[in-house]
Amino acid sequence: MAKHSIMVIDDEKIVGDMAKLSFEQDGYEVETFLNGEPALERLKERRFDVVVTDLKMKGVDGLEVLRTVKKLYPGVKVIMITAFANLDVALEALRDDVHDFFPKPVKIKDLKASVKKAMGEE
Amino acid sequence: MQKTFFRRLKEVFVPEQTPASNDLTARFHEFQAVLDGNNRALEAMTEMGEKLGGEYLFDVNYTRSAYATLFSAIFGALDHFNLLTDGQYPQLAGTLARIDTLVHRMLSGSASLSSPLVVFYPEITWDQAEEVGGKNYHLAELANSLHLRIPHAFAITTTAFTAFMRHNGLEARLAALAGADTATLANVRTVILAGGFPEDFSAALAAALEKLRDRLGQNATLAVRSSAEEEDGEYSFAGQFETVLNVPCTVEAVQPAYKEVVASLFQADATSYQRQLGYDLGTLKMAVGCVAMIDAKASGVIYTAAAGKDRSRMSVSAVWGLGPGVVDGLTDADLYTVVKEDVLRVIERRIGAKAQMVVNLGGSGIATVETPAAHRPFACLSEPQVLELGKQALAIEKYYKVPQDIEWAMDAQDRCYLLQARTLRVEDPAGTSASADTSAASGYPVLLRDQGIVVQRGATAGTVFILQHLDELEKIPKGSILVAKHDSPHFVQAIPILHAIITDIGVPTSHMASICREFNIPTVVNTGSATSVLRHGQAITLQAGEGSEVVVYEGIVQSLLREERQTAAKLRELYEFRRQKYIMRYIAPLHLVNSLEQEFTPEKCKTVHDLIRFMHEKAVQALVANAEGQGRGFNRFFGGKTAMHRLALPIPVQMLVIDLGGGLRSKTSSKAAGFDEVASVPLRAVLAGMLAPGVWQNEGVALRGADLLSGMTRAENIAGGAAIMENVALASSEYVNMSLRFGYHFNMLDCYCSDTPRDNHIYFRFVGGAAAITNRSRRIQLMARVLAEQGFALKAKGDLLVGRLSGLSRQEIEGLLGQLGRLIGFTRQLDARLDADEMVTILARRFVQGDYRIGP
Repeated sequence: MAKHSIMVIDDEKIVGDMAKLSFEQDGYEVETFLNGEPALERLKERRFDVVVTDLKMKGVDGLEVLRTVKKLYPGVKVIMITAFANLDVALEALRDDVHDFFPKPVKIKDLKASVKKAMGEE
Repeated sequence: MQKTFFRRLKEVFVPEQTPASNDLTARFHEFQAVLDGNNRALEAMTEMGEKLGGEYLFDVNYTRSAYATLFSAIFGALDHFNLLTDGQYPQLAGTLARIDTLVHRMLSGSASLSSPLVVFYPEITWDQAEEVGGKNYHLAELANSLHLRIPHAFAITTTAFTAFMRHNGLEARLAALAGADTATLANVRTVILAGGFPEDFSAALAAALEKLRDRLGQNATLAVRSSAEEEDGEYSFAGQFETVLNVPCTVEAVQPAYKEVVASLFQADATSYQRQLGYDLGTLKMAVGCVAMIDAKASGVIYTAAAGKDRSRMSVSAVWGLGPGVVDGLTDADLYTVVKEDVLRVIERRIGAKAQMVVNLGGSGIATVETPAAHRPFACLSEPQVLELGKQALAIEKYYKVPQDIEWAMDAQDRCYLLQARTLRVEDPAGTSASADTSAASGYPVLLRDQGIVVQRGATAGTVFILQHLDELEKIPKGSILVAKHDSPHFVQAIPILHAIITDIGVPTSHMASICREFNIPTVVNTGSATSVLRHGQAITLQAGEGSEVVVYEGIVQSLLREERQTAAKLRELYEFRRQKYIMRYIAPLHLVNSLEQEFTPEKCKTVHDLIRFMHEKAVQALVANAEGQGRGFNRFFGGKTAMHRLALPIPVQMLVIDLGGGLRSKTSSKAAGFDEVASVPLRAVLAGMLAPGVWQNEGVALRGADLLSGMTRAENIAGGAAIMENVALASSEYVNMSLRFGYHFNMLDCYCSDTPRDNHIYFRFVGGAAAITNRSRRIQLMARVLAEQGFALKAKGDLLVGRLSGLSRQEIEGLLGQLGRLIGFTRQLDARLDADEMVTILARRFVQGDYRIGP
């Protein structure tokens, strides 16, 4: 069986690095990106089973990532993480069918559980 | 709420006074503010520790904002503390500023500009770890803090490194080095080796060398060694960088050696190691140590946990001549096993063949020579010498609180010097056990069994690559098991792609062994015959367990293979993660444990936690001194009555009560008051709990001397003047702030208990203990369980517990204080007895049911 794949986008390296280590531990295939543009390029090339993205980023932000994912792969779930726990944005994101929303710092265990749920592996 | 309380306090007790003339009230206000700031700082610290611990995804913004919260709390506390103590401790502001600088430097990743180019070891201070590098720092610490013997030495700092790079036009190139290829790195090395020195660098070096020559004589020689930022810290970098031995004590000789050491930062092995640790090439700065050479008769290594896992024993190895013989795995060393009991004892002694030894050459340099036949069969050390080394090693382990890997050398006069101490990676016994369950492998031919010494346990499989020559390292395919005649630190460049290492000859104390442990690569050395038994290209499964429990099967035994690496261990490989986490070094450790010790001084405060502890203690003392010494304000205030009383209780707790008004019933005679005279509602309630029948553990506890001592709490008699005040309650009719110390743990209770529920609160804090951390955290769990049931909001981490609750009626608060008092008494000596997790549940249940037996 092919590995499940996760795309992680966050403009801070440490977040992507930690996420990559943690998810690879569980046998996922992980690609990380430091900003939205190259991530969108990559999405045109291939599908990921789940996308985890920071909300606030310079240039292409999390909401744009979300919209692109939904357009290209309607079934793919997007998980949003952000340091700014702003309810309005969260609500907008939720309306746009975001799978889950976490303020940073996020407990890795919770994020893993959410990813698992998004993959329908429960 | 706090404000309401102060206003109320003033209204009730000082209606006629203006704040300026009312000394005690003003000071009490400051005191409360110190405690409040301290409490907030402690909570912020706990929160940061948790979020940076490896279980959360966080970013730099988080670390910044969390630290800002912490800083503002401790800064505020310090401000009020200075007012409270009339500026008696001006040093604390300097300490906080230094911590702040270090944290910001860590957060921004920038180096300090102001540090000196050269520092002699005795002058190295606690906050210079980055400037002098880990290896210099730790060795200096052995002498400066533990007073152990080390050679004369000085450090060339990272500031000098930066100056050198800038002088040779390399600064910008280093910044662009990430992802550089072999040719670029080789070029950087060439530039360094041909480089010149800035004038002030040369001058500082010349002065330092002259000073050394004055001390050691004109013919003294030096070991010039690397001391990179994290070296011997979280990561050993064992054997990754150059060391140049036997260098004459002159500028002309030391400068080339310096360049050689610095250039080794960019060697293939070292760069591969840096990449694995998450460094961007070019960011690591290297300090260098110039350490007087000991013309060693014998040298060796001590592991304070034998074979890197048995914490009850240590191993001491020794060879003739200089140290490289042991650490490079060149020669078969003498090996002693020492039991770490009250009196150390040698229980095993193996005299090695020691075929070769490393010696100083006359003028400069070293050489490996055949050991004279007459020397070989003899042990390098006498048993008393082994034990003396063991004693020193134990002191070092105790100081760092983790097992150590220590290098030593003995001179011609039999004086032993310590040359290096670093953290020894010890396997977690619960971690990577490769069980001896062989049934799973039945049917697979066994190629090797019980041969060699296991350096790193684990079960793994792969294809055998028999290494004939070091040049072949680059050709090893991913997933190979490297099989070689000798071990070598050069293997590190292949470690990311290797599944295991097996050698014919080698020792568990080599550099390679350290690195394999760091990276959790299953490794077996000294098998004798691996290169002849195993075939190149053969698929095998290695199961490495305890000691020499080694089995190599032909073929891939899937059932033996498990995911071995733990997330936490892997996270440590991320430099950025470690860097953020390192901030906690300046925040969390507590050095000032015992306020009765001489060391309890502002100068010894190194971390935020120390500051909190120090301020708390001294704030209480200041208030007490103010109350007793300058009775004027008080007496005027309270109409000539004494405000401070000793409390006489039928339990071994001595406590002072500062009566803020209505805390005690009016007394005429002596200063001592009994329980019946306590009028403060909250103090009375909590004391009633502590005095409840059966709670104060006397029966059921074997009265050993030490227990009795640690169970006693003390407060110096009042006549003692500026005495050490451990147990103090500040009480008014509706308020109490109580600090209680039992041996090594502290209870702090702050409570307001009035007829207005919304003003009422309980804040309870418990921290510390003398028993092992597991037992202490079990005690915390037990307390947390009981308090949670009572509706407290709780925060627990390690051996710190904070509980708070507010807005309850007076009756409810009184009931809870009773329960809290019983809990304080009940848990006083409990940690030493909580030897199993089940006891937590059992005792918590009993306690809630009013059964205070602590036996099983």
